[in-house]
Amino acid sequence: MLKEVELAIVGGGPAGLSAACEASAFGVDTWVFDEQSAPGGQLIKQIHKFFGSSAHMAGRRGIDIGDSLRKRAEAQGVHVCLNTVVFGYNDGNLAICDGRGVKEVKAERIIIATGASENVLRFPGWTLPGVMGAGAAQTMMNVHRVKPGRRVLMVGAGNVGLIVTYQMLQAGIDVVAVVEAKAEVGGYEVHAAKIRRAGVPVLTSHTIVKACGEESVESVVIARCGPDFKPIPGTERELKVDTVCLAVGLNPLTELTQLIGCRHEYDAALGGWIPSHDDRMETSVPGVYVAGDLTGIEEATVAMEEGRIAGISAAESLGKVSADKAAALRTEAIGRLTELRSCSFGRYGPGSGFKPTRAADKPGGEIDLSGGLGVIVECDQDIPCDPCEKACPTGAIKVGAPITNLPTVNQSLCTGCGSCVAACPGLAVFLVDTRKTEGDKADVTLPYEYLPVPEVGNEAAVVDRDGKTLGKGRIVRALASAKYDRTTLVTVRVDKAIALRVRGIARQ
Amino acid sequence: MLRIEEHPILGSLKDARRVKLDYDGREIEGREGEPIAAALMAAGVRTFRYTKRFHQPRGIYCAIGRCTDCMMIVDGTPNVRTCVTPVKEGMKVETQLGYGK
Repeated sequence: MLKEVELAIVGGGPAGLSAACEASAFGVDTWVFDEQSAPGGQLIKQIHKFFGSSAHMAGRRGIDIGDSLRKRAEAQGVHVCLNTVVFGYNDGNLAICDGRGVKEVKAERIIIATGASENVLRFPGWTLPGVMGAGAAQTMMNVHRVKPGRRVLMVGAGNVGLIVTYQMLQAGIDVVAVVEAKAEVGGYEVHAAKIRRAGVPVLTSHTIVKACGEESVESVVIARCGPDFKPIPGTERELKVDTVCLAVGLNPLTELTQLIGCRHEYDAALGGWIPSHDDRMETSVPGVYVAGDLTGIEEATVAMEEGRIAGISAAESLGKVSADKAAALRTEAIGRLTELRSCSFGRYGPGSGFKPTRAADKPGGEIDLSGGLGVIVECDQDIPCDPCEKACPTGAIKVGAPITNLPTVNQSLCTGCGSCVAACPGLAVFLVDTRKTEGDKADVTLPYEYLPVPEVGNEAAVVDRDGKTLGKGRIVRALASAKYDRTTLVTVRVDKAIALRVRGIARQ
Repeated sequence: MLRIEEHPILGSLKDARRVKLDYDGREIEGREGEPIAAALMAAGVRTFRYTKRFHQPRGIYCAIGRCTDCMMIVDGTPNVRTCVTPVKEGMKVETQLGYGK
């Protein structure tokens, strides 16, 4: 059976859905095929707020971004075919298999956005039940609502390892440590900060030696390691865990582009073999475009921009949009893409990673509380992100252009509303207020995303950025609001002497 | 219990029709729409199959239908990827030994 369509998109993640939204907006007959039972790709399990700008729906949670892309695509008449595997390519036609059987699809243009899969790491015991990909654990928790284990070791401190660790804590799972073979945390410092303040040690220059157990994981041995990532004898220690999660990178899923015969190139920094493409996202095979992690492992925001470019280019080549208009839209998208990629972590960045701009031993020390209010923005990396600026009603927080600027605070304009505390996707903004407190007390407002929400009137231990207890405080407010999108603003009254150092309250 | 009933971001677990499975002769309960692997993990099952030559246990690894570590015999058919196969009422799920034949 042959089905004829104008545009077939393989993969309904952020890249594929963004491509579908663009192409269908120009009247292209667009079909999306996805093997999963829900569209959105990996967005369906990303329950954290995303970085980026308003063009990338920054500040919203990944699950909701996926949902709104799907709704927009469907409203524009895109056909989204789920539980549908694209498994072959023959004489220019795609072979698909859904629950009802096998079909061939003849598409005038094809966009491949198949994404990536998780890398593995081999060590004695790596095949034991209980050793799994961090993404697998995330799927189990956030999609199927099952705890993948009770006590976990996370291997890898890139963004996936850090984010999944935080989400495990949110699901009520203990994470005993994160080990990272490199000497530095690879992910964003704000993601590491969330779990450090929750008391999870992030052990750099550490590696997993083995997983032990008969039927499944009962313990692991970890050790310090040198720059060669080899364990240093004598530094081993055993940790009782039932689960090991591996977050050691991703690799692009190129099976289909290989099958189609697209030219590929190897780029270790981007995750391995990737299909070569031009700035319209067209591959060496005319009419076949690519977008998203398939073209190199980057962020979902990048995938959305690449998808847009592929969708515009496909529409242009089908004669649905003029060359001038397509070029203008592409230039805009490429501009945003360049900005996203220019941070230290990005494709065009220096790759040097973290350069602290504030002395670690004086957190918040530069803030003057004489006006009664102080905003602490613990955002020390050039992440492309601006929801704090957008949330501030008085213009006290500025990011400006480029979007990778560190936010600056004009403390004299702050009214203490707390909008920035809720808006920061990195949970890195804290507010100290002494206007209503007497004597040596101060109120600290911080973002909180665990259960149970602390009760007003209760006493709580307050912790610093490393999770060390600073002392006790009393909860004076716990504010949940639809506009805070499930981040609760908790205000705790503490001694003024420690107020500038408080980053969290001990989980209950 | 390994089910996440309450969640700070995802809220309370929504009601779903319960589905009964026969897992190696033992009755376990799943939630309609979820994959077999999720129902087994929620019931505390971690070993899904044993390898042919060395009889080593295997469980969930990728959970997206790629790695095939979670294959089991489902209603008599071996090598079914349980992480992407939804539960059905009365389904018979067996630990797979080797190739399951």
